[in-house]
Amino acid sequence: MLVETLLLVTLLGAGIVMLAPDRVAGKLAAGISVIPVALTSYMYYVFLTDYNGVGNALLSPGEVAFGTQIPWLNLGEYTVQYYVGLDGVSMPLLALTTILTTLAIISAWTPIDERQSQFYGLMLLMELSLIGVFTALDFFLWFVFWEGVLIPMYFLIGIWGGPRRKYAAIKLFVYTNVASLVMFAGLFAMVFATDVTTLSLPAMATAFRAATELPVYAGYSLATISFVLMFIGFAVKVPVFPLHTWLPDAHVEAPTPVSVMLAGVLLKMGTYALLRFNFTMLEQTARALAVPLAIVGVVSVIYGAMLALAQRDLKRIVAYSSISSMGYVILGLVAFTPLGMGGATFQMVAHGLISGLMFMTVGVIYNTTHTRMVGDMSGLADRMPWTVGIFVAAAFGYMGLPLMAGFAAEFFIFQGAFNAATLGSSAPVLTSLAMFGIVIVAGYLLWAMQRTLFGGFKLETDYEIGPAAFHDVAPLAVLLLLVIALGVAPDISLDMIQHAVAPLTGGGA
Amino acid sequence: MAAFTYAPAIVLLPFVSFLVALFFGDRMPKGGALAGISATGLSLLISVWVALDVAGFVGSATGYNEFIYTWVAGVGSVALRFGVLLDPLSALMLLIVTLISFLVHIFSLGYMNDEGETGLPRYYAGLGLFTASMLGFVVANNLLMAFMFFELVGLCSYLLIGFWFREDGPPSAAKKAFLVTRFGDYFFLIGVVGIIATFGTGLFAPIREGGEVVAHGFPGLAEEAIVDGATEHIAMLDTVGMDPQAWFTVLGLLVLGGVIGKSAQFPLHTWLPDAMEGPTPVSALIHAATMVAAGVYLVARMYGFYAISPTALAVIALVGGFTALFAATMAVVKQELKQVLAYSTISQYGYMMLALGSGGYVAAVFHLTTHAVFKALLFLGAGSVIIAMHHNENMWDMGGLKDRMPVTYWTFLSGSLALAGIVPFAGFWSKDEVLYEALIHGLGSKGGLGPAYLIAYTFGLLAVFMTGFYTFRMVYLTFHGQPRTDIARDPVSVGWNVKGPLSVLGVLAATIGFINMAPVAKLTGAHIDFLHKWLLGQEDGGWSAELHTGLHHYEKLLKEVAGVGVGEPLGTIGTLLASAALSLVLAVAGLLLARSLYGGSEPVEHTDKLGGAKTVLMHNYYQDEYQVWLATGLTYPLARAMDKFDQGVVDGVVNGVSSVSLFGGRRIRRIQSGVVSNYATLLTLGLVLLLVAFGVVGGWF
Repeated sequence: MLVETLLLVTLLGAGIVMLAPDRVAGKLAAGISVIPVALTSYMYYVFLTDYNGVGNALLSPGEVAFGTQIPWLNLGEYTVQYYVGLDGVSMPLLALTTILTTLAIISAWTPIDERQSQFYGLMLLMELSLIGVFTALDFFLWFVFWEGVLIPMYFLIGIWGGPRRKYAAIKLFVYTNVASLVMFAGLFAMVFATDVTTLSLPAMATAFRAATELPVYAGYSLATISFVLMFIGFAVKVPVFPLHTWLPDAHVEAPTPVSVMLAGVLLKMGTYALLRFNFTMLEQTARALAVPLAIVGVVSVIYGAMLALAQRDLKRIVAYSSISSMGYVILGLVAFTPLGMGGATFQMVAHGLISGLMFMTVGVIYNTTHTRMVGDMSGLADRMPWTVGIFVAAAFGYMGLPLMAGFAAEFFIFQGAFNAATLGSSAPVLTSLAMFGIVIVAGYLLWAMQRTLFGGFKLETDYEIGPAAFHDVAPLAVLLLLVIALGVAPDISLDMIQHAVAPLTGGGA
Repeated sequence: MAAFTYAPAIVLLPFVSFLVALFFGDRMPKGGALAGISATGLSLLISVWVALDVAGFVGSATGYNEFIYTWVAGVGSVALRFGVLLDPLSALMLLIVTLISFLVHIFSLGYMNDEGETGLPRYYAGLGLFTASMLGFVVANNLLMAFMFFELVGLCSYLLIGFWFREDGPPSAAKKAFLVTRFGDYFFLIGVVGIIATFGTGLFAPIREGGEVVAHGFPGLAEEAIVDGATEHIAMLDTVGMDPQAWFTVLGLLVLGGVIGKSAQFPLHTWLPDAMEGPTPVSALIHAATMVAAGVYLVARMYGFYAISPTALAVIALVGGFTALFAATMAVVKQELKQVLAYSTISQYGYMMLALGSGGYVAAVFHLTTHAVFKALLFLGAGSVIIAMHHNENMWDMGGLKDRMPVTYWTFLSGSLALAGIVPFAGFWSKDEVLYEALIHGLGSKGGLGPAYLIAYTFGLLAVFMTGFYTFRMVYLTFHGQPRTDIARDPVSVGWNVKGPLSVLGVLAATIGFINMAPVAKLTGAHIDFLHKWLLGQEDGGWSAELHTGLHHYEKLLKEVAGVGVGEPLGTIGTLLASAALSLVLAVAGLLLARSLYGGSEPVEHTDKLGGAKTVLMHNYYQDEYQVWLATGLTYPLARAMDKFDQGVVDGVVNGVSSVSLFGGRRIRRIQSGVVSNYATLLTLGLVLLLVAFGVVGGWF
């Protein structure tokens, strides 16, 4: 019942907040969003104590945690169920979602000053869909949530965004929707070619993995064609080069709290779906295509980092560096090793926290200075010492400072990929190339910090600048503590993740 | 065992002082300095206790190698743990780091507080974290943990070099220090990942329980693979398609990337002179005991892994020898006190690398020890001068400070004699041993190793002359002759907190060489080469048999696997004396040349006589220029070009697709004209077309 409670609380909460007057909406939404945080914390605790060691939700559905399975409707010959549940992969992502939502809502108190009740209502509606995406185990249900995320996102960017918000919102919506179509085509080609009768993800996984003698078109097996279509569909969400160009526009136009959700959780939908569909259901194909996929990942890492180096807008820098960080996830996934796949999933969580932290910090600076441009300001450390201190800590987290979550994630991926059987003799070379990202990321973040935070104080906008409000800095501190906690004790998440991916990697229990 | 269980406290105490200074420093007197002083003082005491235990004075002369924290248990993957390795090497290094850090904390009371500085909590927090990171690195029992603390050391250097962030110079220097060392760490990280992937462990030494090995160390596994051909525990060899020795050499050289970065060896030395932008006590800490020492210490820590690879040894020796000479030439023309010291640091770490590469394990550790003392002394002495000179660092504005600040002068002189390598000061003994080892192994080693060592030795020998010269050019310009400015005539006096640390280090710089007077020991037969014995271990039994980190073991590997031999054309005593005499004569010659050029009461600049060479030296061989060009002249424009490509081509295609659809949509919309007869026409045409199509496909015709 816990998952249902989560869904219900966010749904009702969204409704209540929408109807509430503007001046209380922010506080009310924050208060309501604490309930899912408390619930998921409790679930996390129960998971650690009771369910830790359960397998993959798709491959051993009997072991799913907090599962509910109710027949819902019939679509032709296919049964659709209300089917939810968690495993070691989805549990950390669910916790990430609820925590980031609360913090993003609090961080919105300062910048969002019109139509508040609608803004916070939409934020909660988005949380509802995100919870659904990470818990649903039936394709139909999952797809409803998957598409459902886009609708609040579209309005959040389109209404509260920057000057080019309409362009950015439509681009995001159309681009990812077209991608969903491609994915849908790829998936249903497999559904029609195999003998699945229910659209539950475990059933699909079983059927796809057992499928033999699939039709062959133009020399390619249907599994390969479906894999590529689904990969393209999900890669847009991740995003992976060259399907990434919606991301910087969306981030630059989106208000800070929305950027936090976009980078922190929405991108992870892409990698989560890749793991669930491409790398679980079509494991054999994924293994066969490992080297080209790893190359795609490595190119994303370097390309994203190089583009971040060229930017002047702090938000664009973080946006492009997300592309780079997500490239590591692809590399980790294709390794099919406990540390590679485990690290990739861990990176989803770690990057969610760190990029959220970065965007929020940039947001706090923007709220005070009204500019995000490197070069328009310098020496901020003099006027906002705590914010700058957290900025420096967050940036080092992003650069992969040990004992912070980012280092742990990237190290796991490197270690897992370095001798991955799927990559053969190209494994050390590709991994080493990807590792060069850690040099470039240090370059652009240190350079940006030098020019904005340090030196003599200068600000080219007409605003008074002083220390930020407590409710602006507190979410940053919370995120920073989480990043450090996961960096010092990664097994809080990695252990359950590794149990969940163990059936894929062939590792023992 | 008692002391060993408290060893983690050595690391944790400075970490606690970091937290205390950061969060409560502004409410404490002197910005939390007291927390740092007491923490490092306590760490020093525990380190002494540990060292006594290792030596067998209060315990059983055993080593200690245990895991203390499981970072990642690993489900189906390798477990990643933190652990503590205590043997004579790490025990010695703990002493050095805690002692220097303790003295630097005390010195900072005088150096930092006299400036009305507002950032003191940040400063002492930084010092605490710096010390804690370095100590964590020193006790690390595996490569991953070492790497993690190595990176934290880098962070702290960034924070402290950029301490005065309101100016333009320090943030830039801090960025450069982190970025250049990060470039080296990139290779180090590949090495770490590669070693764990290859051996399944990053342990430096085996862990035993009840005498049985429960976890192997990677140097031991590598040794077995090469010596006994036991490759069943070695992965990766098929992946990379190399034989074990070649692959291990590659791994060793990758790790060496990090060493070259942190220990400021050519070509990644460029960050270090810029790092002088940081407060002077921080420079003392960075150069003597923490960051720069970390690189060399790492090579010594995993020496068993390098001792089986002649190629890696040759590279280390050549990089070290070349750096020693290369940096010394630049020190000759510098005008600022701290700049001279900066280049001398690079040069001296070059000697340590030279020693490690040429099989002089003890010599390297010895020089690391003596250098820590005399370089800390020189930096703190420079700090004292800088206080006195109102933060003017140009030596040409000084002069005659000898009589006005006697404590500083005499201690600084002690450090300078040590740096120049004048008998009997500390540097003489250690540098002499470095060169001696390089020489005899150069004369005796097989294959390409011998010539490589001799080349490196020649570099090192030439650098001795340079060192003597630039050191005493610095001493004469700063302290002798007539004061050349008003400030130098009436310098600010310094307090006990400056003189105290200087006196301690001044005495040590004169005497610490006595811990290993190897030449005297060999001549007289007296067993006074204590450091040698400290690191030697027994052939069987004791810590060396337990951990395989003793000199006995390394010498065996060097001789049998790497082919490092000994050649003494003048006999043992003759070669020894010739080598010592040669380096001493060169050092004294350098000193005398400096005296004749700069020893007068009104010295003048002689560097102009170098002509074009001076320009090259003042520009540091254009090393900075090309590295800055790599960043701003190559990488950044490339990034801009890629950005244009992204906006124009990649995003252009996306926008193009949408434009085409919009355009197409507008065109097709024209069909919807609203005229009924048009619709009827279209309808009819469509029907005809369909019928024709069906007809053709269905075969009606």
